[in-house]
Amino acid sequence: MNNPMAEIIISAENLIKTFSSRAEKLTVLRGTSFEVAKGDVICLLGTSGSGKTTTLNILAGLDKPTAGKILYNKQDIHSWSLNQLSDYRLKEIGFIFQEFYLLEHLTALENVMVPLVLREENEETAKEIALEFLQQVGLGGKVMNLPEELSSGEKQRVCVARAIANYPSILIADEPTGTLDAKTGDGIMDLLMNLTKKKQMTMIYTTHDPYLTRLATRLFVIQKGIIRENETTNIADIDYDNIIFEFKGGSDMV
Amino acid sequence: MTDIEEFSASEKKKSVVRNVLYTISFNLSLILRNIRNRKRSTIIIILGLIFSLSILFTSSIWTETSQKIIADDYIETLDYEMYISTFRMNAMSPVYTFALEDSVVDQVDWIYPSIALFNFEDKGPNYRWYPEEMQENMSNPVSLSFSFVVSSRSIDRIKKNLEIEGNASLNSGEIMMSYTQAKQLEVIYNETITPGYKLNLAVTRRIPNTDIGEHTMQYYDIGETTFANYTIAGIYKYVGYNSVIDRLIGGSTASGGGIALDSIFFPMEDMNEVDLFIMDANGILPRLLIKTNAQQLRVNGIENMPDNLLALKERIEIRFYHAYCYILDQEIQTMTDEYRRAFGSLALFVPTLVSAVFLTVLSTQMTVKRRREEIAFLRSRGAVSSQIIGMFFGEFLLISVFSLVISIGLGILLAALIPSFGHEGFFSTSLFYRYFQYLEISPYDIEIYSVIVLGIYLGMTLINVITYVRRDVQESLLVTRRGQQLLSMGIKIAAFALTIAGFIFLYLDYRSIAAISYTFGFNMISASTKTLFIFIVVLFFICYFVSMGINYLLRNADKIFGSIFKKSKFFISKNIKRYTKNFTELTFFMIIIICLLTGFLTIRSTALNNISLEENYRRGADIRIQTLVPVNVTDFEMTISNISGIKNVTGFYTARASIGLQEVEIFGVNPLEYLNIGRWTSFSFVDMDPQEALTSLSANESGVILSDYVADRLGFTVGREMYVTDFRGGPFHIKLNVSAIVSSAPGLGVAHGHDPKMNRGTSEWAIITRDLFIDRIGEQNGTLFLASVDQNANIEEIAEQIRSINPLIIVNPEQINPDYIGYFIVEYIPHVTITLLIGSIFLNIIGVIYIIMSTDFILEQRRRENAVLLALGGKQTKIQKFLINELIVFLFTTIIFGIPLGIITALFALLFTKPLLISREILPMILHVDPVALLIVLFTLIIAAIIGIIPIMRKQMKYEIVHELRAIV
Repeated sequence: MNNPMAEIIISAENLIKTFSSRAEKLTVLRGTSFEVAKGDVICLLGTSGSGKTTTLNILAGLDKPTAGKILYNKQDIHSWSLNQLSDYRLKEIGFIFQEFYLLEHLTALENVMVPLVLREENEETAKEIALEFLQQVGLGGKVMNLPEELSSGEKQRVCVARAIANYPSILIADEPTGTLDAKTGDGIMDLLMNLTKKKQMTMIYTTHDPYLTRLATRLFVIQKGIIRENETTNIADIDYDNIIFEFKGGSDMV
Repeated sequence: MTDIEEFSASEKKKSVVRNVLYTISFNLSLILRNIRNRKRSTIIIILGLIFSLSILFTSSIWTETSQKIIADDYIETLDYEMYISTFRMNAMSPVYTFALEDSVVDQVDWIYPSIALFNFEDKGPNYRWYPEEMQENMSNPVSLSFSFVVSSRSIDRIKKNLEIEGNASLNSGEIMMSYTQAKQLEVIYNETITPGYKLNLAVTRRIPNTDIGEHTMQYYDIGETTFANYTIAGIYKYVGYNSVIDRLIGGSTASGGGIALDSIFFPMEDMNEVDLFIMDANGILPRLLIKTNAQQLRVNGIENMPDNLLALKERIEIRFYHAYCYILDQEIQTMTDEYRRAFGSLALFVPTLVSAVFLTVLSTQMTVKRRREEIAFLRSRGAVSSQIIGMFFGEFLLISVFSLVISIGLGILLAALIPSFGHEGFFSTSLFYRYFQYLEISPYDIEIYSVIVLGIYLGMTLINVITYVRRDVQESLLVTRRGQQLLSMGIKIAAFALTIAGFIFLYLDYRSIAAISYTFGFNMISASTKTLFIFIVVLFFICYFVSMGINYLLRNADKIFGSIFKKSKFFISKNIKRYTKNFTELTFFMIIIICLLTGFLTIRSTALNNISLEENYRRGADIRIQTLVPVNVTDFEMTISNISGIKNVTGFYTARASIGLQEVEIFGVNPLEYLNIGRWTSFSFVDMDPQEALTSLSANESGVILSDYVADRLGFTVGREMYVTDFRGGPFHIKLNVSAIVSSAPGLGVAHGHDPKMNRGTSEWAIITRDLFIDRIGEQNGTLFLASVDQNANIEEIAEQIRSINPLIIVNPEQINPDYIGYFIVEYIPHVTITLLIGSIFLNIIGVIYIIMSTDFILEQRRRENAVLLALGGKQTKIQKFLINELIVFLFTTIIFGIPLGIITALFALLFTKPLLISREILPMILHVDPVALLIVLFTLIIAAIIGIIPIMRKQMKYEIVHELRAIV
């Protein structure tokens, strides 16, 4: 449940996102609002194509809403200049992509160094920091490997290290376990949770796996373009009928 | 067979046909759709192919066609190609008939070299005219001149040797008269003589033999051949040089002057046959002037022209033992040599062509690399390798056929278009049409060029496709990546070693030909072209190895990058390292372009510098004066030295003589004056500086400066005693001793051999002192004078003053020999310096296209990476900065290595390309780098590259991050 006393770090106001193609117009988000407090661990649950990634992209400043606002520390991020937005992505957001998006020509270490170097960190310092984070994610032995030489789990770990290397305020993870087997997925989730706690970060992650909701302090469910907060994050208390039914048969795309 | 079986068999047959048709149409539609979907890359490939093919076709069609036009036009510029003389009286008629019937011969004209008399009417048969300047009545003398009795139509050809005031016509009742003769008659008649003036004249039927005392008028036998009221149609100055008429009736600069200077032309039609017969019987032997048919003469190619002419000479001389044929084979040979040189110099364009082909290849490679995903998709949908390769092959066929057809058309058009520009004004429509009229396409060339270009294109496409399609096969063939690299390097090094060996072999061959050649003739040009071709291959290899070296350096230049780019170093150095792994071609190709560009510009400025130095050297001094009529040297020196601004002047006494069997021109000079006035160089003499050589001649009473050729051939060294014999009109021999050996001299040009840029017919000269010349030879005249001017004097003003002394003087001409065949050839084929300039421009364009194309390719590949960087918080301006910095590193390193490599290339190329640049080397060709031209070209390359890249970068920056990320698979 939202703690009314907690400091709101990021919030959405009446978010609308419409994708236009030649054939049709697709409204993914239909005027949804929510608030995220500092230290929240938020799980965004929804079916494939329900708009989870779109929401995360908009929150991270990678995409623009068709209407509505994203307020970060009460400032509308989409009213910022491109450079301000870049700074926001660089300093405040750590993004773990579902598809990793590692730079193929760089080693694991160099990939982690990228945001640090972009922040104009000294290369040597960046190297030290990156090494430290890689060790934290358990990849201390494979720092010089190229992405093609890593397994999916390892790639995801590099991605995690890269996302947290800059000590972002908000860690955003898009289906962090989506491409991983259950065991590796659990490992990654544990890692994320530990790091979030350790670094006191706010975290927003998406999943379509109801069992991963247990790790979150708050559960958002996205349905028919509207995000609403679930009363509980406890698996046992979740209104399965409702959610699972929607997952199985319904489409919340209109 | 039952009905059913029959039916099913026929259906089967039908269905096979239908299947085949369906497969073809399906594949065709697939290919067409592919081409349509990839308009941009298809257009790039087609343009690249058309560019390469059409340039190759143009060069072939141009060569084949223009040699015919050049041959025909050159023959048209000649008066005649042959004259026939005889020592038998009344024996020429059958020769005339025989010559006229020969297929190579177009026109045969008679010429009777007789004497014309003026102011003879009141003189009786016993009037004593000899010697002419001391005849019986000097207050009212007879005037004599040479009279050439020629057919009226022949004047159209003869006039090529004349500069005419009035009409060049020789109708009945008309004569043409030389300027000198007209001036003499003005004195006698005391009237101004201009075209249209009427006078009486007599053409003699006999030439008196003064040796046996035939000193009076009667010996001329003019009874039947006196003509009243003849009109002077035109007054001419004789300007002939290296022509049949010149050879026959006297060169303008020969010792004693050409007889044509003091002459008239008389229409043969006004003489009756009896008179002509009598003239012939009296020993005025007619000559036949032969005009050949250019089309027949150039049968089997332009290079066979001298030989075909020689064959005609042989046919006539074998048939008529008394006939002697003089042919212009040396001139025609020079023309074919110059033509070869001009076309040989187009070989310098070859690297540009190769670069164009490379561009096509690399663009093909990039396109195929871009289609990796498509290949992967087709594979994943179950397409077998042969289907994928087949699809690419189908595309290749369609694109090739299309490009081929366009290129042949374009080749024909360009072959006609290029030479038409700058020919007779801005654009010559007539020449343009003539190229179509003379059009000659060599199927052999078209086939070879198509196979080369399309073969490379097909090869590269298939290799790339197969690499992607059959990665497994490829990997199984070569066990390890390292092994693969080693094998490929081994093949390259082996190929390089073979090429180097070939180059050394051809270069040695060239050297051996050069060692025995004094001029750059056909053999030298052909050896030079061959060596150049292999050198180009060697150069490409060297560029490849240099680019590998650069890649190695760039991979290990982290510290340098760090100190230059500070915090941007990380991305720049990582990306450059990536380049060097995957895009060796990028540096390779740019090194080639910059190296060639530098090489071309350096060779060009070296050639231009040499041409200008040699022009100055040929001119000889501040002022060069040449008289069309021999003048008294001391008198003329006095006249010139009186002109204000003239510092020193020296004249050249001239006589002809022989050294052994070699006919030579002997110049009598004041050695110290000549040393002082002439623009000597340290290369003028062999093993001696000019100061030493001329001082020693001055101190040596019987010294002679001898040409290196004669000295070599006869084994003469300095101090050797020798004889010069057979002075025309002088002593039988003079004993001299060699005081120096000369290669060339200012104002005189090369001492041996034909220098087509000089206006001297003979091919050998020697220098003796003026005192010795006057003392022993007795000749007082000369035609050449050199002068120096005071400091700050206006040379052009002084030259103008000298010109005003006499119209028969040429002062500081723009070209010493305006009839130099090279000036004719450049009307059709650009001069080598223009070829090099055009080559440089093309290379520049190719370089820019390549930079833009590869940047586009790299940026396209980086689209997604850039999206990731943006998503991670990178700024657009920063990413752009990285890209521009990378480009700068790339351009900077290729320029830093490319320029010195280009200069070294030029230095090497000059060892064997001189025959393609100049007709002979008077002054050693020394490397001349033009830094300004180099900077301009490189600057344009860089600017064009940057300007070309900015829109691509801007376009890329407009892509939305999410859209780009979503595209990442």
